[in-house]
Amino acid sequence: MSDLDQQIEQLKRCEPLKESEVKALCLKAMEILVEESNVQRVDAPVTICGDIHGQFYDMKELFKVGGDCPKTNYLFLGDFVDRGFYSVETFLLLLALKVRYPDRITLIRGNHESRQITQVYGFYDECLRKYGSVNVWRYCTDIFDYLSLSALVENKIFCVHGGLSPAIMTLDQIRTIDRKQEVPHDGAMCDLLWSDPEDIVDGWGLSPRGAGFLFGGSVVTSFNHSNNIDYICRAHQLVMEGYKWMFNNQIVTVWSAPNYCYRCGNVAAILELDENLNKEFRVFDAAPQESRGAPAKKPAPDYFL
Amino acid sequence: MEIEVDKGILKSSGAELLPNGRRGLRIHDWEIETLRGTILTSLALQDWEEKLHTSHLPEMVFGENALVLRHLSSHAKIHFNAFDALAGWKQEGLPPVEVPAAEKWKFRSKPSQQVILDYDYTFTTPYRGSEVVEKDQEEHVKEKANTEVEASLQWENCDEQIDLAALSLKEPILFYDEVVLYEDELADNGVSLLTVKVRVMPSSWFLLLRFWLRVDGVLMRLRETRMHCVFGKGETPTVLRESCWREATFQSLSAKGYPVDLAVYSDPSSISQRLPVIKQMTQKLKIPRKV
Repeated sequence: MSDLDQQIEQLKRCEPLKESEVKALCLKAMEILVEESNVQRVDAPVTICGDIHGQFYDMKELFKVGGDCPKTNYLFLGDFVDRGFYSVETFLLLLALKVRYPDRITLIRGNHESRQITQVYGFYDECLRKYGSVNVWRYCTDIFDYLSLSALVENKIFCVHGGLSPAIMTLDQIRTIDRKQEVPHDGAMCDLLWSDPEDIVDGWGLSPRGAGFLFGGSVVTSFNHSNNIDYICRAHQLVMEGYKWMFNNQIVTVWSAPNYCYRCGNVAAILELDENLNKEFRVFDAAPQESRGAPAKKPAPDYFL
Repeated sequence: MEIEVDKGILKSSGAELLPNGRRGLRIHDWEIETLRGTILTSLALQDWEEKLHTSHLPEMVFGENALVLRHLSSHAKIHFNAFDALAGWKQEGLPPVEVPAAEKWKFRSKPSQQVILDYDYTFTTPYRGSEVVEKDQEEHVKEKANTEVEASLQWENCDEQIDLAALSLKEPILFYDEVVLYEDELADNGVSLLTVKVRVMPSSWFLLLRFWLRVDGVLMRLRETRMHCVFGKGETPTVLRESCWREATFQSLSAKGYPVDLAVYSDPSSISQRLPVIKQMTQKLKIPRKV
């Protein structure tokens, strides 16, 4: 068994790698990712997955439902880290699979794959706690800069973490972005990772909270038409039922973190596309409490005042 | 929540845990219970949006979560739930807080594109709890359509204060729980969180309803309501309620020399003293003998 295969087995047991191993793995991953396009081509059959957020044991449920990589070809739409308890193991397992089977798993960037966001929402603290230094966080966030921004399945399904941008009309415009940087605060690259579809806006909208743009049905219709795609598949928003179609099946949200934050009680979904692009959503529940290693639900009594 | 409470202490306090896996207990004519469920389904969310006349609700609304305190002989009920809290949010209708990123977006987009959603996306609520007098069980069955009459419980302003010294004594806790009513991550621009926690001791019950808002780089709001009820004092129980609202902008904190590093502001308990008080109110509720 090669070192890499051993590392994959170790990560599958939710045991983190040594710092030096992480460094070496990231270097290898970088060589692969740098070659990928901003609109990475993906062949069907493929199984598309939404946000994971460090919920390692729930990702293992995902692989149980969807099948193991490389037998199943996977596309993950970002937000591997933050909020859950095992961002390190989750991201490293996906990255190790990417290095081992580069043509059988595609990872694209979510808005949480960012230095700034991970310092607020958990990944930074987790690295510090598990390694005693922030080196692993540095290696990982450096790799984030190399992740592709979107994927195109069989030229028909456009996949992105957040959504569309008013600065982007064509896929070629995405291809020209220089992505090897921290997610900027504005501009096309930021919008792709942060935007949301919104029922009540026609055209483009702004949320006061500044979370990318909001885009309505007409925007999706014209984007799909001019790029000759069937629909957009994105993640980024929690959906109680695991997936949600909008605007007459022109865009679908896929969410793959069941019982989000270990308390929402939502189910998760993955989208399986066969070689003819026939769709099947596979809905799954969180891993049983006792196997997921999350701290027990019971709050410790506290003499709050 | 099955904390290991010593059976002997429960018994000597005259308390009994609720049966059938319910979370809570009965003590001194009070039944105190927490309820838990999942976030609203898409369908339920639509229903709430219609009832509340809004097209936006927090990302995570725990519609079945509640803390309920029933005074058994009077049928008075004090309870906490997301629906009433969101009705309060809707009614208060604060103007939206703008994050720095939004300003930039506005600047670079054409005015014609600026469909700006102008609701209070922070879900700030003035909610301080719900109270009602329930009809008794037999009438309940007869008149299912109208199970609860209008609240005839009246809070009055008062000078008394919650006895924090008594609450600082490490009396055994017979029941403790915390439930989230709603939460929104503000699309990774901070947090909006409404929770209620309760502890029941042999001599009293005490609860804290807390609305915590942090809009990263912009402001923090903490609206807390505490209730305390001492058992066996007077003929009928009196509940004291103190509300304290605090608010500060990151700018004002920085001007005072406090750090504005977000990591410092993850736990409201530890930094509440830094936030200036903007509103304070103390009230009491005398539970009537029989309504």
